[in-house]
Amino acid sequence: MTGARTITHDNLAALVADLAAAGTRVTAPARGADGKVDYRPIASLAEAALGAELPRRSLKEFFLPASEPLFSWRQEGAKVDLRAVPTEFPPHLVLGARPCDAAAVEILDHVMGWDYRDELWFGRRAATTIATLACPGVDGSCFCTATGRGPESTKGSDLMLYPIDGGYLVEVVTPKGDALVTAHAARFISASDASRPVSPDPGPRTPDPASLPMPAIAEWLARNFEHELWRDIALRCHGCGACASVCPTCHCFDIVDEPEGVTEGTRRRNWDTCQTGLFTLHASGHNPRRDQHARIRQRVTHKFSIYPAKFGEVLCTGCGRCARACPGGMDLPEILGRIAALAGAASGPEAAV
Amino acid sequence: MKELRDLARTLLADGAVKVVIGYEEGPRGVRPAFITRPEHAERLIFDARCTHCLPAYLSPRRTHVAALGKPAVVVKGCDARAVAGLIREAQLAREDVVVIGVRCGGVTGDPTVAELASGTVAPRCDACDAREPKLADHVVGPALPAPPASDQPDMLARLEGMSAAERWEFWQEAFSRCVRCNACRQACPMCFCERCVADKTQPAWIESSPHGRGNLAWHLTRAIHQAGRCVACGECQRACPADIPLGLLNKKLAHVVAERFGYRAGDDPAVPAPVGAFRLDDAQEFIR
Repeated sequence: MTGARTITHDNLAALVADLAAAGTRVTAPARGADGKVDYRPIASLAEAALGAELPRRSLKEFFLPASEPLFSWRQEGAKVDLRAVPTEFPPHLVLGARPCDAAAVEILDHVMGWDYRDELWFGRRAATTIATLACPGVDGSCFCTATGRGPESTKGSDLMLYPIDGGYLVEVVTPKGDALVTAHAARFISASDASRPVSPDPGPRTPDPASLPMPAIAEWLARNFEHELWRDIALRCHGCGACASVCPTCHCFDIVDEPEGVTEGTRRRNWDTCQTGLFTLHASGHNPRRDQHARIRQRVTHKFSIYPAKFGEVLCTGCGRCARACPGGMDLPEILGRIAALAGAASGPEAAV
Repeated sequence: MKELRDLARTLLADGAVKVVIGYEEGPRGVRPAFITRPEHAERLIFDARCTHCLPAYLSPRRTHVAALGKPAVVVKGCDARAVAGLIREAQLAREDVVVIGVRCGGVTGDPTVAELASGTVAPRCDACDAREPKLADHVVGPALPAPPASDQPDMLARLEGMSAAERWEFWQEAFSRCVRCNACRQACPMCFCERCVADKTQPAWIESSPHGRGNLAWHLTRAIHQAGRCVACGECQRACPADIPLGLLNKKLAHVVAERFGYRAGDDPAVPAPVGAFRLDDAQEFIR
């Protein structure tokens, strides 16, 4: 991999213009009509709001859209014609991703390529280069450091950008990132002697990882399917699923057939969430997760016990969006803290002190 | 605060209720609290951050809350309309809940923002006539001055001033952000159906896909089902992770219902809502 380089603001703007002209989709945090920042398509760097507030939704919709067709059908007599959707996508650059959002995409690769290789997911993954901006911090609901990530985590990123005077220091992380830098070499300045800028004070957004020990939490979860904690914390939960919709790692989907008249239709997949009763309702009327506490338990257990047991890492990057979005004041870092305390208390008298 | 905590402690200690649903300090501002032990009554607070409409937790679909036993609920005067709505629509018997009214000086609409100012006050607090709760078994707290008037632009007036095409464009943009997470429905005190029409699959009256057609069908259905029932607590809009201004639809329909039927969702459960009433002298001919 080539070493570090720098890019000036002007050259970054020119790079975006070059890419857009060559047919590459460019997505960046940008302000919309309602004044809020989301990851949006941009035609020029001037539209981007790099390093502004945390985008409202994560990056996952660029790989797993909130709704997408899987195929469509048309019937003529006894003949049924199935039309596939494309699984190859035009080149795409995400510029100014948050480290927590970029990491989430790589964490999701496990489940998307496990028993079945999701062609749509990996088609979009192959087409996309992610250039992540080192995180300037959000607020006290962040807990990325506790999940093994951090403001400068490179996981999931092809390139890392660190703000410096007049532009960015660019660190190449993957061959895909290298390819982009190499193809546009004239826009970059070699910076073999450039030292990485000093990280900003991490502040309250990055708790001491020891305060939320993930292995101890996973171990407690595996042993405490029935525990009063679940009924206690679920009381304020509305079961609204706002947490899952803004979560960079929640990836469950529903599959529906939408007919157009009698002979045509489309099969789609849509985001779904384990926080609703309908998610587990059986055709018989039985619901194995009848109450909200069972749904909260599922969300926490899947992220911090089932997923790490299966794939070796937690299904959470500590972005804090769930806590910010919750109208009922549910707070995942707080819940994990309570579990850590319970796990500590259970592991011996020394740990309980 | 002491009056509220003392009352909650007494209700729990005497066994009059099993849980007091109120407000407490959380990691991100104020949040709902479920106090089941007298010694935990100290956690209860009330201030301008207490925007949540707690009667939402009284609806029978909250099985995990109902399992605790008889509740007391802390309400602002405006929230009492939701208690009245649940009683009016036979979801709750008046004797099955102890209503603790708190005198209110306005809320900010954001549980993390404490300072009441013209830029932070919830627009619904403008011209509020319910700062002294009426539907309540107990009324606590000092009488507070009226909050400052909101300086936020009157979006409903702006929308009404638009052409139909401009309004269509406004809502198309807003609904395009909807991912159908259902937060608006779940947080609503008046969305208590055991099975929502949007969850029906055979037939699927409302497509669950968050595309233009599905989103329009959902939001229009939700709005119509709220006409004359919405208590204007603003929880749908606050819950929406996409910041869709759903309160505007509710407000417009409340105006229409007031104009056509002379009805406003109030705190008297004995006054029937137009959608649930049949009258031989109905002003609308088609229904007679």
